[in-house]
Amino acid sequence: MSDTSAIRTEGLTKHYGKVEALNDLDLDIRAGEVFGFLGPNGAGKTTTIRTMMDEIRATRGSATILGMDTHAKSVEIRKYIGYLPGDLAMYPNLTGKDTITYYANLRGGVDWKHVDALADRLDADLSKKVGDLSSGNRQKVGLIQAFMSTPQVLIMDEPSTGLDPLVQRELQKMMREVADEGRTVFLSSHTLSEVQRVADRVGIIRHGHLVALETVHALRAKAMRQVELELDKPADVSVFEAIDGVSDVKAQNNHVLMTFGGDMGTLLKAVEGRYAIVDISTQSADLEEIFLTYYQDEEASA
Amino acid sequence: MLANVFAKTLRDRWRGWAIASGVTGFFIVLGMAAYQGIDMSVMDTFPEAYRSLLGLSTGMDAGALAISAIYGSYGALTVASMALGMGASAIAGEERKGTLGLLLGCPKSRTHVLVSKMAVLVLLSAFATSVMWAFSAATPGVLDINIGDMNIAALSIHMFASTVFYGLFATAIGAATGNRGAAIGVTVGVLVLGFLGAGLLPMLKGGEDWVKVFPWYYFNGTDPLNNGVDWSHLGILLGAAALLAGVAVVGLNRRDLKAQSVGVTMLDRLRANPLTRKLADKLAGTARVSSIWLKTASEHQIALTAACAYLIYVQLLLGWFYTAIPQETFAVFDQLPESMGAMFALFGGGDVTTPAGWFQIETFGMMAPVMIMIVTISIGANALAGEESRRTMGLLLANPITRSRIIIEKAITMVVFAAVVGVAAFLGTWGGVLIGDMGIPVENIAAVCILLTLLGIAGGALALAIGAATGRKSAAIWGAAGTAITLHLLNSLGMMSDSLAGVQKLSPFYYYLGSDPLNNGMDWSHAAILAVIAAVLFVAAIPLFQRRDIRQRD
Repeated sequence: MSDTSAIRTEGLTKHYGKVEALNDLDLDIRAGEVFGFLGPNGAGKTTTIRTMMDEIRATRGSATILGMDTHAKSVEIRKYIGYLPGDLAMYPNLTGKDTITYYANLRGGVDWKHVDALADRLDADLSKKVGDLSSGNRQKVGLIQAFMSTPQVLIMDEPSTGLDPLVQRELQKMMREVADEGRTVFLSSHTLSEVQRVADRVGIIRHGHLVALETVHALRAKAMRQVELELDKPADVSVFEAIDGVSDVKAQNNHVLMTFGGDMGTLLKAVEGRYAIVDISTQSADLEEIFLTYYQDEEASA
Repeated sequence: MLANVFAKTLRDRWRGWAIASGVTGFFIVLGMAAYQGIDMSVMDTFPEAYRSLLGLSTGMDAGALAISAIYGSYGALTVASMALGMGASAIAGEERKGTLGLLLGCPKSRTHVLVSKMAVLVLLSAFATSVMWAFSAATPGVLDINIGDMNIAALSIHMFASTVFYGLFATAIGAATGNRGAAIGVTVGVLVLGFLGAGLLPMLKGGEDWVKVFPWYYFNGTDPLNNGVDWSHLGILLGAAALLAGVAVVGLNRRDLKAQSVGVTMLDRLRANPLTRKLADKLAGTARVSSIWLKTASEHQIALTAACAYLIYVQLLLGWFYTAIPQETFAVFDQLPESMGAMFALFGGGDVTTPAGWFQIETFGMMAPVMIMIVTISIGANALAGEESRRTMGLLLANPITRSRIIIEKAITMVVFAAVVGVAAFLGTWGGVLIGDMGIPVENIAAVCILLTLLGIAGGALALAIGAATGRKSAAIWGAAGTAITLHLLNSLGMMSDSLAGVQKLSPFYYYLGSDPLNNGMDWSHAAILAVIAAVLFVAAIPLFQRRDIRQRD
């Protein structure tokens, strides 16, 4: 077993007939991290997860979890996995407790104190039938069964669907705790806010291709920023437009506003000598904007 | 009129009605062909109770017999069932599925939606009765059967009114309560009680007046086939139907709509009650979810109960009938023409004058396999394909269990349930034999029930294998049921003609009754063949399922 890789995929590819749902996906997710897997609807997130769970089989390539092949060793792997499918469906005529008991029995038992504690944290009602619960409360039952066996690897597809903000925050805390204990979370999502908050690294997938794989930190650093300079004399737009990484330049008297991506030093060096800088203010972009940028780039190249 | 609700309801429902009325029409033709040339005096010697149940009156000719028996009772029951199913689902069904909220989110009133749905019900009732009328009216000319001055149109008009009545009865309950189960249950109760009561009560002293409380009486109490339309009875039915439509509209408008929900069962009530909670929790909770096979078992209890209850009830009743029918009646069967033999072959064949043949034709030939396969095919089709179409397979497979274990555990449920149906058939038949003093050896009864169990398992295993290969529940159900019907026909054809006798051996049904187990006892080689068929299908299901991607959507 590799000591650092929790999940690793190599050239993972899944085609449905002519539809290429997933193309040559290479991922290496380390033990003890929360990995955010981002992408718009239909990008291939769920296909990736279902391949990892051996629900569907790769056309090409392979995936390993905890060093074991996801197809050949799927049953062994599942002892160490907690799974929450996207678009969760359970048995409507069973209560939450019955549901948990059923899956617990199939796992060979569960610590009920842990289950009760989870139910408490998520404010879940396990006495009602699953079919009578609202979608958010149903999601809580799904979350409890995913967390209950203290899994080494947690794979969750859109886990915060239907949850209210308070419970979403509790869930984020729980995910961080899992990672802090050295266990791993694979979190698929299309909403950035939660990924931004909990993930260590982010993979962005679009049309079945991985378009970015970065730490949240590095992504931020790469971000396009709004930079506003106050100069000692009226600004010449063409001077700024010539600088590498600068776009959308707007000048008004001594003020110049621009969008800039790159190292701040380069910008300052370019300005130096021509102008004296009286004041400088920058506004760092939200991850959301990076996210959208990636989508648009991909769209332009597609 | 809300054109789009009307059109959508029509689009969702017409196919079921077309199949039901078409199949009934086909059976009317088949019945007339088979009954053609039978000396009618035989039927007059049937005991009154039996004739009432079958809807026969004395002095009828052969064609009328088929029309009255098949059209007047089975046909009427079939369309009434279609109507009540549709009526119960009209509002309560959409509530249960959670689709009513969105529908009523459109700027249309509850009344508009309900009236549109009721209009479709009336239209389809008219359509179905017209189809069956067309079959009944056209066949005598084609087959050259003299049906005398029977008034088929009058029967059809009465049937239309009756169908609309039962449909709106269920609609009213469903619309007023939002409880689909109650709507179906109560209406079926009224329908069946009326059908039995209207047939049996007139034979009792003073029963002639009581019979008027049953809606069925206003359908054929005046024998419209022979006496024409009774406008007062027709008026009562249609008036009641209009009243029910009013109840439905008022009831729906006055109450709160229900959110999507699952039904509350008896067990749930017991779990809620502090006195019975402990025991019920054990039964419903702990035990039910302790393993895959027990969970599967808990999902198919209703089908199992229905099949067992039917077999026990019918077999006991048949034992009693056997004593009630005069022996000279049976004597007449010896002189039946060939065409009648063909008819019997469809029901499993056999000599009706012997106790074994009596049970074979009435139950083991057709109804017993149907009953057991309802249970086994339902388990087999739901086992894998059902979990996939309900999207629960993903979570089930997230547990550290192999795909083959899921198949094995679900197959265990199927085998156990088939055995329970087999035992019920055995107990019912044994009781019937004792009541009728029919002298069939108990080991022969056991033999036919073991063969029945094996046949049922084979049918269910086929459904399981199709589900394993495709993940589609409807493919599993219709594939298995269609194959069963085809193989049954193949066996029946083999029975009728010597040239097809070899082909017959390709049908598993041959290994079920072909050795005449009620007379000859167990043929272990036949049992082994059925067991091997089932085993091969089970084993084949494993790689078929293991190799495949799990479906995410239906």
